[in-house]
Amino acid sequence: MLQKAAKIGHSSHVVTLDVRPQLLDALSALRDRVAAARFPLPLPGAPRARANRVELLAQLDDYLVPRLRDPEAPLLAVIGGSTGAGKSTLVNSLVGRRVSEAGVLRPTTRTPVLVCHPEDHTWFSRARVLPDLTRVWVPRRPDGRDSGAPAATEDGEHVLRVETSGSLPRGLALLDAPDVDSLVARNRVLAAQLISAADIWIMVTTASRYADAVPWHLLRSAKENDATLVTVLDRVPHQMVAEVSRQYGALLAKAGLGDVPRFTVPELPESTGGGGLLPATAVAPLRAWLTHRVQDPTARGTAIARTAGGIIDSLRVRTPELAGAVASQYAAALRLTAAVDETYRREHARVRTRLQSGGVLAGDALKRWRSYPLDCTPAELLDALTESLGALLLCSVTAADERIDEAWRRDPAGAADGLAARDPDLETAEHRIGMAVRRWRRMLEEYAEEQVRALDATPPPDTELVAALLATALLGGNRARSAGESLAERIGAQGALRLRDRGGRLLTDYLDKVLAAERERRLAPLDALDVHPESQAELIAALSVLQKER
Amino acid sequence: MTAVTAVTDHTDHTDRIDHADHADHADRIDLAEQAEQIGQADQAEGADRAECCGPSGPSGRTDRAEPPRHVKRVDAGEPEGSGAESAAGAWDDGLIARRVSDTGVFDVEAAVDTHVPNDVGAAHDDDAALMTRLDALRELVGLSRTRVDAETLAEAGHVLDEAAARRRLSDRHTVVAVAGATGSGKSTLFNALAGVPLSETGLRRPTTSAPIACSWTDGAAGLLDRLGIPGRLRRRPLQVQPGQPGQPGQLGQHADAPLKGLVLVDLPDHDSAAVEHREQVDRILALVDAVIWVVDPEKYADAMLHERYLRPLAGHAEVTFVVLNQVDRLPGEAADLVLDDLRRLLDEDGIALGEHGEPGATVLALSALTGEGIGELRESLDQFTREQGAASRRIAADIDAAALRLRPVYATGRRSGLSEDAREEFTDRLADAVGAEAAGQAAERAWRRNANKACGTPWLRLWRWYEARRAPSITFTTLKPAPADEEATARQRVEHAVRVVGERASAGLPGPWGQAVREAATRGAAGLPEALDELALTAGTPAGRLPRPGWWPVAVLAQVSMTLFQVVGGLWLLGQIVGVLDPNLGVPVLLMLAGIVGGPCVEWSCRMAAKGPARRYGLEAERRLREAAAGCGRDRVLDPVAAELLRYREVREQYVKVTG
Repeated sequence: MLQKAAKIGHSSHVVTLDVRPQLLDALSALRDRVAAARFPLPLPGAPRARANRVELLAQLDDYLVPRLRDPEAPLLAVIGGSTGAGKSTLVNSLVGRRVSEAGVLRPTTRTPVLVCHPEDHTWFSRARVLPDLTRVWVPRRPDGRDSGAPAATEDGEHVLRVETSGSLPRGLALLDAPDVDSLVARNRVLAAQLISAADIWIMVTTASRYADAVPWHLLRSAKENDATLVTVLDRVPHQMVAEVSRQYGALLAKAGLGDVPRFTVPELPESTGGGGLLPATAVAPLRAWLTHRVQDPTARGTAIARTAGGIIDSLRVRTPELAGAVASQYAAALRLTAAVDETYRREHARVRTRLQSGGVLAGDALKRWRSYPLDCTPAELLDALTESLGALLLCSVTAADERIDEAWRRDPAGAADGLAARDPDLETAEHRIGMAVRRWRRMLEEYAEEQVRALDATPPPDTELVAALLATALLGGNRARSAGESLAERIGAQGALRLRDRGGRLLTDYLDKVLAAERERRLAPLDALDVHPESQAELIAALSVLQKER
Repeated sequence: MTAVTAVTDHTDHTDRIDHADHADHADRIDLAEQAEQIGQADQAEGADRAECCGPSGPSGRTDRAEPPRHVKRVDAGEPEGSGAESAAGAWDDGLIARRVSDTGVFDVEAAVDTHVPNDVGAAHDDDAALMTRLDALRELVGLSRTRVDAETLAEAGHVLDEAAARRRLSDRHTVVAVAGATGSGKSTLFNALAGVPLSETGLRRPTTSAPIACSWTDGAAGLLDRLGIPGRLRRRPLQVQPGQPGQPGQLGQHADAPLKGLVLVDLPDHDSAAVEHREQVDRILALVDAVIWVVDPEKYADAMLHERYLRPLAGHAEVTFVVLNQVDRLPGEAADLVLDDLRRLLDEDGIALGEHGEPGATVLALSALTGEGIGELRESLDQFTREQGAASRRIAADIDAAALRLRPVYATGRRSGLSEDAREEFTDRLADAVGAEAAGQAAERAWRRNANKACGTPWLRLWRWYEARRAPSITFTTLKPAPADEEATARQRVEHAVRVVGERASAGLPGPWGQAVREAATRGAAGLPEALDELALTAGTPAGRLPRPGWWPVAVLAQVSMTLFQVVGGLWLLGQIVGVLDPNLGVPVLLMLAGIVGGPCVEWSCRMAAKGPARRYGLEAERRLREAAAGCGRDRVLDPVAAELLRYREVREQYVKVTG
């Protein structure tokens, strides 16, 4: 018997699923694409997409790729179900000794326990399946209780306890998972991950909770993935076995799961009595079914092919879903960018209008201009104008910021972490703009100096005066017409025209530069999120390669 | 009688508005107090009115006939009233409605009060406190309606509605729901408490699909209507004989715990695949006074129960019972272990446990099947119903929960408000925008220039004049026309100043209020630049010619005499040279020297002397412009912002009152 099992365990010709290296390559390519997909923007569908991505990765990493790579590896049957359904008791009873702690306190199983035949140990001791779980082997104490291995090591890693037992047939491993509806959220996630790693999922429920919503949700998703599924109705009081079983069957049939093998385990004093073992007769049918799956090549092949094929088939729906989420992320990023661009474009136009209407030559600058030249020096006039120009730019930049904030607040994607945490340092914006404006002024003075030097008039007009008049003419719009006239009188109409041309170009340059720089700063956090459209196309491409290889 | 009370109540208010000096009755919100004193207050008001309105009528009766007319006069005669009054009216719509509804509530309250034997003195205080909190919450909702979106306020409004609905109904009854997971034995427990199998129990999951009620005392019809439990699902327990409700002695085998006033509701499960059950449970749980959560050893740690129900209802611990059913299925000391574990989980959920006499949830282990522990539950239920405080406690817990959820809308960790610095900075920015500093400097320089011109030596003036004639183009700008500038104010600076002050004022305020403050600032800024333009015209340009100080003529005289010295000395010397005069070198030279040195000296000293007044003149010009701009800014921006902040503070106070 044992020999027969060994022979079958190592024969691969029974696997009906055709595994070619190309398929594996296509799968790993798809896996990498899925791993690369990111959903940083908090869109309505993003949490779901993130969960889908994690689930998909888990299924690929923990089950599909290892299973296709090693078709002869032992079958993994995961016992999952609600809290208090008696999963650990069931595992213990199947194995025939207490490998997993059972008890009345919930949740009982905090560390998942994997039981396999000693000769299969190597399959599970290395990171072939469930690579992100740390393997531990806890020496059993004489009283049979484990010494309370932690659910996670210090650095938050999950652990998996591997036990061996000779009473299991070769080629079969049982995994006692935590509750699917555990109060400890991490256990729930772990349970879902473990279930996705299963060749066979044994869903355990009880007479009092077979109508619970959570396991039914899982059952439905298992059906969608076409996984090999068994249900066990546990803890059924003797007097009501027939009734409850009938009810349960009806519910299953209604959910389209009528063909799922169903086993009933009666409620015995042992099932609540602090983790005693159930008599072998109580679990014999289930044990026989599992043994048959392992030892009959056809049954085994069917079970594996069904689960693996189910997952590959489900990729056809889930990958485009993921790709869609990626696309909507990109669309949202575009929307945010467009809001910034539009705002800055409008601010730019506003600044231009202000400049043309002489908005800079107002307030302080206007008062200086009025009192010039009698009560005001050219330097003072130039100072006032420069400052006024800086104020105009700062005002439009802060206005743009405010409007962008508002636009982003209205967009659900605008609430992303990085975006809100931009440094809205007004001081630095003021500083940057001040720098740019002062540089512009220096350039203007240089232009004026050049022009004056080229002009060999005696005495040469004061450079500062020329610069001040030029700045006034440039910034003052219509209201500074006399400044232009005065400038022309001093350096000649030709020179004045040329100077004004150059100065105007310089002004436009600096204006564009300042606003573009501020816009870039504003977009930097969004760019840092690195949302681009390629991942969508790549996902779909990887899927189509996989479809072809199938 | 009710109508009369309502009318007098109304008159009281109008009367108070009319005679603002009735400050001693200003606490009009405190309805509880008003309720107690309504008779005396009425008398007092009558007397006051008699005093104020002259010989209107000696007796209270005639007085009472007058009020309607009185009201009308107030309404029609002062349609807009003073600013404060109309402002109060503008945001007090909710308040008026509240008063009306409150009187309604109060009447019921009073009616109920007369029935209930006065054995709960402490409960009365609690009741008053609860009333105050409810009022504050109502006020809060009313004040916030225009600022906070309706969705956020919906829960508070819901709490208010439910509280009003509950208080209108009998407070002799305590509605207790039996809730739990499928198969945990809710119906079995329900039947065990009732003494008869009222609710169907079974193996089929889920068993109970519609809530069933059982009332121990008559008069709960209104309460059950509110729960939406149809008549066919209303039951009576075994022991109460119809027609003799709540009579001790008529009870059956549980005479020790009559459970007077208990209304028990058996709920469907909350965790089965049947979604409509969950909806029903959620609906009824929001309406009952207390809940008995039934858990069993298998399911006591279900995530659904703890995360969806117990954790959000942690504040309702005082009206919560948690019973561990089916302990008969647990062997030996396992029951205690499980019970302890259950306590631990509840503690982690944040539910206060009612141990050692502290208020909190009651946790019991029992078996509905064998009857073990049922007596204990019955006893605590009996005591619970006898206190008759469950409804109030439930409402209080609801208010707590609503207040907690509204916290981000009202509370802020930081101190908020418009600091003096921010105001100062705003004023500075506005002054910049109108160019106050430059205007001051220009005025100062113009003054000094004038002074120098007036007191300079004639030679210097001659030279300047010549210069001006030689190169007229240099000074042509002085001929610059000074047209009335439109947009003399720097728009961008005003905009920026307003934005910054809005940001400053709203810093630390919760979202909607910060938004309101910013909006107030922006709204105020709408006409600000134009107003400042006008200001710059009126306040900026000094009227008429520059003022001349008193010492100017003296200085001019001195300057003239210095020039005369020079001329006289020169002529004297000339005369000597020509030989007309006696040669005397000393005096004319001295005279000339004095004139030559003295002229610039006088000019210089004049310049020095002019510095101070010029500076003062310039500063004065600057100050005038700055103050005008500041006043404009204060009226249009700072005051609305401050008003908005004040309103937030008011709301904040209400919120503090709500939290109790």
